[in-house]
Amino acid sequence: MRIPPLVALALAWVVLMLGVAILADAAAPYSYTALDLRARLSPPIGFGGTWAHPLGTDELGRDVLSRLVHSIRMSLLIAFGACIIAAVLGTALGFLAAHFRGAVEHVVLALVDFQASMPFLVLALSVLAFFGNSLPLFICLLGLHGWERYARISRGLAISAGAQGYAAAVRQLGASPLRIYGRHILPNIASTLIVSMTLAFPEIVLLESGLSFLGLGVQPPATSLGSMVGYGREYLTRAPWVLLAPSITIVVTTLAVSILGDWLRDRLDPTLR
Amino acid sequence: MLRFIAGRLLRAALTIVMVVTFAFVVLRLSGDPALLILSVDAPPEAVAAFREAWGLDRPLWVQYFSYFGAILQGDLGQSMRDGRDAIDLVAERIPATLALTLPALALKVGIGIPAGVYAALHRNSATDRVVMVMAVAGFAVPSFVLGLLLVLVFAVQLGWLPSGGQDSWRHAILPVITLGIGGAAVLARFTRSAMLEVLGQPYIRTASAKGVSWRAVVRGHALPNAAIPTVTIVGFMVGSLIAGAVVVESVFSWPGVGRLLVVAVSNRDLAVVQCVLLLVAATMVTSNFIVDLLYGVLDPRLRTARGGGKG
Repeated sequence: MRIPPLVALALAWVVLMLGVAILADAAAPYSYTALDLRARLSPPIGFGGTWAHPLGTDELGRDVLSRLVHSIRMSLLIAFGACIIAAVLGTALGFLAAHFRGAVEHVVLALVDFQASMPFLVLALSVLAFFGNSLPLFICLLGLHGWERYARISRGLAISAGAQGYAAAVRQLGASPLRIYGRHILPNIASTLIVSMTLAFPEIVLLESGLSFLGLGVQPPATSLGSMVGYGREYLTRAPWVLLAPSITIVVTTLAVSILGDWLRDRLDPTLR
Repeated sequence: MLRFIAGRLLRAALTIVMVVTFAFVVLRLSGDPALLILSVDAPPEAVAAFREAWGLDRPLWVQYFSYFGAILQGDLGQSMRDGRDAIDLVAERIPATLALTLPALALKVGIGIPAGVYAALHRNSATDRVVMVMAVAGFAVPSFVLGLLLVLVFAVQLGWLPSGGQDSWRHAILPVITLGIGGAAVLARFTRSAMLEVLGQPYIRTASAKGVSWRAVVRGHALPNAAIPTVTIVGFMVGSLIAGAVVVESVFSWPGVGRLLVVAVSNRDLAVVQCVLLLVAATMVTSNFIVDLLYGVLDPRLRTARGGGKG
């Protein structure tokens, strides 16, 4: 199997990001809340900065690199959590619709239509207004993004799988529906679902960073890529690096995961095109 | 055709009902409104009086229907901040938002569709590559990053344009570009793949083979058929005219509906949030309805098909 250079590059970036996220405590030179008031707004290397703060510092003298590392961890954690919630929820509802048909299917499809027809950002904002904000709630909320696509896909695939020999065979052998769907149909449609997850992942990263940028996502003292940009915006004229470091990270990560997703889709599942 | 329209209208009404239900459920789940408004240590008699005054002591389904009735009469409650009608607060922000989103929509359609069609007709050419790279980049760069970069270059470094506010038409240039570029990229990508799909169909080959000029094949056969998926995306963009600028309005301190929504969310001003939610839903549903009717015009088969899925 040959991997195109662009995809290899994207893969390398994603691995780097994952490594940074997992080893955040070891990778960050300082604590992300540590102040260094004598080195406030110090520029990054190449723009007159020193190795003490390779990416510079913000207005409180906090090390931008350390904050970036912790933001990457936070943003990836949220995106992974939300992605998995959406996939599990959507697939479960899709299977329910495929299994029971009739009224259950109509309800699920109406919910799918509803979700697909409303801009998610506005729904998310209303929920945040009504419930306030906390990290677990925020992850669950983003987990509601995109579930309708998994529901559509898994319902369609489960219905066609149900008509195939293998599903009928295990049913004849007396397997429970849970076993049929969990052990037999799910593995058969897993590649399609994984590709959908890869394609949905960058959208969740963008959504999280957008909400955090507005100050309605991750709350201080915790930090995420979007909240770093929102914060750095105040110092746009004097210290653009505070904002550029997380911005570039968001763009490159989104790009890398989309490239990987497109490549996986072309290899594993041309039907999704 | 009448039956087709009736079916679509029913679906539009159903979506509105679901949004109202969503708002009601979320509103009730989020805590006791009496305690929320009066504060936790209000005397029990005051809480009871408040509940009676607002009908909160009645059964839930009665509350639900009276909530529905109030919304049908246009009563969307008052802002908790200054006591003004939420609907007035929202309505006076709409022109400012449309001043950004309408030109941006023109930009998206004006650039995105021709670029997508051109890229598909010249597949694998240099232009095609450029369009695709731009399309992927347009997706990966979030609007707040793009907006801030434009501010950094055109307002801070070059000093050509103002960085925020709403004093003259020059203030609208950067936000409109920010909104337009991302949408144009998405639209170009969709149009391109829709065109490529259609161009691979046998009827295109047939039309060419029977001697129709390529120009006429593209105009008469390829474009109308590729229009259906494209219309869906444009429809979504039209539906987002009100709510599509939430982030960009915040970046450029533009006093539109989006900015109002963000402020209302951070103040937990529920009446205003709910009003925006319903307004967005109504816009979205209306534009979906128009798109559905357009499907019927573009594809005669759909007019006779009953209900069923889209497209």
